[in-house]
This record gives sequence, structure tokens and C-alpha cells, in this order.
Amino acid sequence: MNSFSMIKLVMAREIRQRMRSKGFAVTTVLLCVAILGMGVLNRVLSGDDSPTTYDIAVIGEMPAGFDDATQQAAQALDVVIKFENVGTRADAEQLVRDGDLDVAVDASTGELISESDPSDQLTAAMNAAWQSSSSLRAAEDAGLDPGQISTILSPAALRPAVLDGGKDSDDGLAMGVGFATAVLLFISINAFGGLVLTGVVEEKSTGVIEVLLGHVRAHQLLAGKVFGIGVVAMAQLSAAILTGLIALKVSGTSVPSGIWVGLPSTLLWFVCGFVLYSTLFALAGSFVSRQEDAQGAAAPISMVFTAAYLTVFVLGNAPYAPATRIVSVLPPFAPLLMPLRISIGAASGVEIVVAAVGLLAATFGMLRLAGAVYGRTLLHRGSRLHWKEALRMRSARSG
Amino acid sequence: MLDVRGIAKRFGDVVALDGVNLSVDRGGIIGFLGPNGAGKSTTMRAIMGLIAIDRGTITWDGAPITADVRRRFGYMPAERGMYPKMTVRDQLIYFARLAGLSARDAASSADVWMDRVDISSRSGDEVQALSSGNQQRVQLAIALVHDPELLILDEPFSGLDPVAVETMKTILLEQIERGTSVLFSSHQLDLVSDISRNVVIIDAGRVVLEGDVRDIRERAEFRYAAIGFAENTSWQPEYPGVQIIERHPRSLRLRVPDSQDPTAVLADANAAGRVVEFSFAPPDLSEVFLASINRRSPERDAERDPDSSTDRAAVG
Repeated sequence: MNSFSMIKLVMAREIRQRMRSKGFAVTTVLLCVAILGMGVLNRVLSGDDSPTTYDIAVIGEMPAGFDDATQQAAQALDVVIKFENVGTRADAEQLVRDGDLDVAVDASTGELISESDPSDQLTAAMNAAWQSSSSLRAAEDAGLDPGQISTILSPAALRPAVLDGGKDSDDGLAMGVGFATAVLLFISINAFGGLVLTGVVEEKSTGVIEVLLGHVRAHQLLAGKVFGIGVVAMAQLSAAILTGLIALKVSGTSVPSGIWVGLPSTLLWFVCGFVLYSTLFALAGSFVSRQEDAQGAAAPISMVFTAAYLTVFVLGNAPYAPATRIVSVLPPFAPLLMPLRISIGAASGVEIVVAAVGLLAATFGMLRLAGAVYGRTLLHRGSRLHWKEALRMRSARSG
Repeated sequence: MLDVRGIAKRFGDVVALDGVNLSVDRGGIIGFLGPNGAGKSTTMRAIMGLIAIDRGTITWDGAPITADVRRRFGYMPAERGMYPKMTVRDQLIYFARLAGLSARDAASSADVWMDRVDISSRSGDEVQALSSGNQQRVQLAIALVHDPELLILDEPFSGLDPVAVETMKTILLEQIERGTSVLFSSHQLDLVSDISRNVVIIDAGRVVLEGDVRDIRERAEFRYAAIGFAENTSWQPEYPGVQIIERHPRSLRLRVPDSQDPTAVLADANAAGRVVEFSFAPPDLSEVFLASINRRSPERDAERDPDSSTDRAAVG
């Protein structure tokens, strides 16, 4: 049987066993519910999208064009203004007090009547309408004809000239998504890398490794375990990302277009990051014979990984800084930092390529290194091996 | 044929194996005996490629054992080795697949072997839910599920109830009939001689006795004589090298050098009182075993094999 089919068999077992575990189902569902929940919450908190409606009344004779000007101002400010018919100022004041009217305008005194301070939007709309209709009356009084009046009062609006090629200015949201992605990748690599670690130690502590190695070469076992658990991790992460995209839709926020592509491409960074770190976790697992020693052996890797994670928060806020550019292409950091920089559009094509090539090379090198010593460290019994001793070991088995 | 020639292994300052030779023919079975730490497990692990030997060769049909060859072996380690959270059936199918069986063959072989070791009713249970005796049945089935050419069984009988022992014996004898070669270790010497006429006894990493059980017993340098008298006796045998092992009012048990003519002893006893019972026999296997080990015992404690710390069961 060739090496690939052996790896496939080992992978299949990992996938089947992990997918069937209750823990996997529960965490996946919880993760998706949490992500969807954030989207729904955001929607609820930001209210519905229909514009605010104000009820107003006018007392006395308004300048001609006031109604039109009011509606124009309302449109510009994205609100709806409805006129109510009211007889006297006393009636209007009563209705304002009762809350049936938001404001009333007294044409004779030029007052805006409200119970407390009216909203800025409404004040702005009423002022704009009042001033433009007053100007119209003044212009008519001055004897201008309607054409001149229109030229004076309705100059052409400013045309937009965006310098940055129409780039989304919504960096805040992209940054948020970027950070959320980094958190998700960190949790995922930690959780599933942890499964690789305990999986390797389980094989050693139960002695099943002795039977396995009669059939499978150590490096095939390593590859099958890392890739198999990787597939399970990918399944969960894909579900989370898909839910995230749905949550963004549901939340009703306008989403920078880059995210629809950037978020799924996160999976590629995840794959490399996961393989890199879990190969190290698997190696660490092969140094010990008891489950209770596993965390100790993996501590150096966890520390490096956590440091990389914290760096995301230190450097993520300055995505264009030189330090960020350099650190983000280094293999231990790239899986967490690059997706963030890509999602806010801060990473240049060259940086992405350099980071990807570097990460792939590091991952490949790690697999080779682990494959070379794993056969020996797996069969080590008793006290915990140290990295130096382990790396000095050559593979025990030929054939 | 499995051929182990002069293999040696040191763990630091400890000599675990010191030139062990043994061979198992096609369809042959060898009982592998020795006290705790003698090097039985280390030898078996060396055959399975689980430790690198310092010296010597291990071949199958004259060729070195590669990963592909080893896939045709079945191994049952002294420490049981299974995935605790995998079901019995999945476990068997997995190992059969790793040994190269197709999905369909693996499934049918798993079902056949669950039935053979009488564990079918637990097929969907996780291994960790089984009693240790039942786990051992599964372990045996794992070793056999891919129809191996050579079986390496480290203490297959330890911890089994008498019913399971019978099942295990029957299966081993069937395997030999089918042409499978078997190397198994045990502390239960009577069991060993029930199953296998050929044994290899090692101590402190060296083979101290080997061959047919009957030959080994006959080759022993002493015999046992039991003499029963009609009445109480104070008879004292006076031959060089003859020792009284047990003495009762009307009977004695003697250890007699094999050079001694038994009829002379009988005649002498008969002269001292009427003899109603007389037996003369070579020592049984466990007595030969103990004798061969006692001869070397001072060295043994110094050269304990740390790798076989699992050979805990009592000798004999």
C-alpha cells in the first residue's frame, strides 16, 4: 500500500472519531449561535432601517414654498416630516405637550415650539426650510423674477470627487472583522492543535502506538493525524465563517466588499498556520508518555503562539507601520496577522506573496523535521524528552 | 521462517539482550520463557521493529524485515494497546485496513474474528467499557484480523479466565495448522507445554535452554524419585548426590542425579522396608525452568532489563 493511502486511512479515522464526538457538535453549534447572535444583537440595537418620522404643525401663514423646502430638507436628512392641521397656537402647544406633535412652527412669531429640545435633525430641517422660504419671499419682495430666484436659491450641489479610487472608507468594520478573524483562528488552532497533542499522547499512553507501528510508518501517522484533525477544524471554521457572513447580512450593516472574499480566504492562512503549529504540538506530544505531562511539553509552543496572538493586538491597530509589515510576513505571526491586514486592505501583493511563501516553506520544513525524529520520539518511554535530545535523535527504523 | 541471530541491546549500562538466537518455522510455534526482565519483551519488540538493536540480525524468509513485511505480522504487546474511545468493530476494521485489507474484506474479517473470540455482543461498545479480559480478546483479534504470517504474542494468557484460556489455546492451535508461525511468551509453564513442544528459555538476555519440552526434561541433570513404604520408616538413602526433597513418615521424595541407577535406589529402599510405591521421572518444565534460572541468579538481578518492566506475573 502506498504512503498516501496509509495517510488517508489515518485521516479517515481521525475525522470519523472527532466528528462523532459530542464535544465537537456542541462547540460548533455554540460557536455559530454566538456569531449569529452578535449579528442579530447588532441589528436589534441599531433599530430598523426605516427613516424617523416627525409630526409637525404650522400656525399662521407660512411663506410660499415652505412646504416644499421642508420636504427637500427632510429628504436630505433622511427623515419623514408630516404636516398636521392645527387651528390655534394654544391647540398646537397642547398637542406638543401631549406628544401628538413633535414640534409646531409659529409663522407670525418665527418660533419653533417643542416640549423639550427637539432633535438636531428636525431642528436642522425646519431651519433650512424656514430660511429658504424666507429668502424666497425676500427675493420676491425685491422684485426678482422666478428664473433669477431659482438661480439664486437652488445652486447646483457639490459633485463628489473621491481621490482614493472609491476605496471603502469603512475601515472600522473591516478592522473589527479582521480582529474577530484573528481571535477565531487563535481559538481554533489552540483547540484543534490541543486535540493533536492529546491524540498523540493518547496513542503513547494507551500503548496502541506499538501495534500501530507494525502497520504504519511514524511520519504517515503524523501526517494523517495533523491533516485529519485539520479537516475537522476546517469544517468547524468554515461553519463559523459562513455564519459570520450571514450574521453580517442579518446585522444590516453595509459591509466593505473585500470582506466577502477576504473572510473565506482566511481559511488558506488557517490551513498553513494549523499545520505549522499542530506539527509542533504533535512533536511535543511524542516527548511524553503520560497525558498529565502533555501541557508541560507543549508549553514553549503555546507561549510562542500566544505571543503571536498578542502581537495582533499590539500591531493590528497600526496595519501600515513598518514593524507591522515586517512582523506580519514572519511564519509564526503570518497566520494571525496577515488575514487582518488583508481584510482592511493594508497588505500589498508583495507582502502577501512573501508571507505565504515563507509560511509554506516553514510548514514544509517543519513536516520534514518532525517526520525525521517522530519515529524515535514516539517510542520513547518514561520521562519527558527535551527538544535538544529529541532533535538529536535519528529515526530508529529503516524499511 | 523467522530467524533471530545474535541480537544484542543495551539500555545505558544495562544489558537487555546479549546475543539471543531463536527461530520459528513456518507453521511452527515457540513458547518463549524467562523470568521478569529476562529480555522476552525486548526480543519481541526488536522483531516488531520497535527498538533498534545494537548487534545481530532478524530476518523473515531470509530477508531483512521491512515495513511491508512487518505488515504481515500480528503483534500483541504485553501492555495492551487499543484506542479506548473507539468501538470494538471500528478498531478491528481500522487495523485490518492498515494491514492492507479492502474495506469490504476488513469488515467481514472483523465480524469473523469478533465471533471467534466471542466478543460480537460488544461490537458497538467502546473498548474502554470492556473488562480487561474482554479487552484482551479484542487485542488478540487485532493481532489476527489481517490473517498474519507470523504472530508475536507477548503474554497472551495473562489475566484470562479459564474459558478464555481455552479459546486462546484453540485459536493458536488452529493458526499453526493453517501454517501461521507463532512466538508467544508466558509465565504459565504448564500452559506452554500444553500448546507448544518447543520452548526457548532466556535469562539475563541470553538463551539458557531451548528445544523440545520432552528433550529438555530428559536432558536435565537430575530426576525425581518418590518412594512409599508400607510402614513408618527411617530409611536414609546413601548415594552421592541424592538429596531428600520431602520427608513424610511413610514416604520420601528424592532428587537423584541422572547418572544414578534408579533400580539400585529401589533395591536399597526395599531392603529397609516394604516399598508400596515407586516413581522415577524427569523434572517437569517448571522445575527445569527454575533450575536453569537459579544457576544464573546472582547475575540476573544486576542485569535487569528496564524495558520489560511489564513482565510482572509470577514465575511458574
